[in-house]
Amino acid sequence: MSAPGADRPGSGAAAAPPARSGPGSSAADELARALDRISRVRGMRGSMWVSADDGLPVAQLLMEGVPGRAVAALAASLVRKVSGSAGAVGAGRVRFVQMEAAGGTLLVALAPPDLLVVALADGRVNVGLARLEMMRAAAAVAR
Amino acid sequence: MADDVRSLTAALARDPSSLRYADLAESLRRRGQRDEALRVALHGLARHPQHADGHDVLARIYSDLGDLDRAQLAWGKVLELAPEHPGALKGVAFVRFRQGDARAAVEALERALAIDPSDEAAQRALESMRRDAPMADLPTAELPTAELPTPVAPVPAPPVPAAAAASPEAGAGSAGAARPSGAKARPAVFSGFDRATADILLLDERGLVLAGGLLAPNGADVSEVAAAGLAGVSGEAARTAQHLALGGWRTIVAEAESANLVVAPVGSGALLLVRRDRSMPVGLALRFAERARGTASTWLEGQGA
Repeated sequence: MSAPGADRPGSGAAAAPPARSGPGSSAADELARALDRISRVRGMRGSMWVSADDGLPVAQLLMEGVPGRAVAALAASLVRKVSGSAGAVGAGRVRFVQMEAAGGTLLVALAPPDLLVVALADGRVNVGLARLEMMRAAAAVAR
Repeated sequence: MADDVRSLTAALARDPSSLRYADLAESLRRRGQRDEALRVALHGLARHPQHADGHDVLARIYSDLGDLDRAQLAWGKVLELAPEHPGALKGVAFVRFRQGDARAAVEALERALAIDPSDEAAQRALESMRRDAPMADLPTAELPTAELPTPVAPVPAPPVPAAAAASPEAGAGSAGAARPSGAKARPAVFSGFDRATADILLLDERGLVLAGGLLAPNGADVSEVAAAGLAGVSGEAARTAQHLALGGWRTIVAEAESANLVVAPVGSGALLLVRRDRSMPVGLALRFAERARGTASTWLEGQGA
């Protein structure tokens, strides 16, 4: 996998939330640690923090060949559509989205106000475990 | 229309600082050239950031593109600049309605009518909302389409076969409960499923309701509104799966504050939505949806669809 943030756009660092943990722990470190935990789930091909507004990657940990920017943009767009529909059917604010396809699964946890935790996995993924790690990461930055 | 675009383009070329950019963007939007319209609007607004009509056009373009969040922001900007802008008030009503917030939609329309009581489009939309549904049962066709951008085509319900309409959905609930009062009569595809006409909806790829139904918490039938919105989800899912080389998509599960949603394609072009209370585990909701999908698939095959 490439290192967290290796493909980070120039403005990515500025989009990261402020550090909320102990002294000496930067926001970027916290985001990277969360991606590292998610990446240990079996079947995971990559995970990333994405700006919810513009679908740009903020930090990422991806296997070779995973198109990070495309994953980020498409995941953000899908979440916008799903959130709009959820509002229309009275389901309220969306917290987690999983799209299962023949060749893999796209998972997105919403980290209000402006971040998404996005993961791309193959068919072997333990969705329950991935979801737990992603929701934990989302809750940590939202604190 | 083509002449409009040509003459407006020429006018803007002669005077790049002209406010005619908004007219040009609107003409391009009406021709369906949304990307070009967006480029012109954003370029114009870069020069004239306080131009309310420019932000109004921008909002319409975003709405056409299906980006209701940005449309809402743009209309909000219009109302900051011009609190009585009728187009923005109707635009806000449109967005609120599409988001399922009928109360806010009504308030926005009432404000628009207080400013211009002769606005017939706003009158029709408001009357329809008050008459048909306290929550959100306004048919999209009755929104003031002449004034508002409608990213999704009007969605009248398909005609219900007489036999189906005459027979209430037997066993709408697992205990054979009657169809909820707000639900419209539709083919009894999901008989035997829990809340068959309140939480299970089958629609086609154009966003038209095929069977089942979806009720708002107050009992209003919001099937058509939901179907219109869901058609966009299907397209987005297909695009995502294709770009990421994931093959065909099978399900989308959305965990939300008050309900879990499962969306799944059925056959070629149909789409199933199952809404379950959050008390039902996601895995169980998925199994429930899978069973409903099988039933829907069998029914569609029987219809020759």
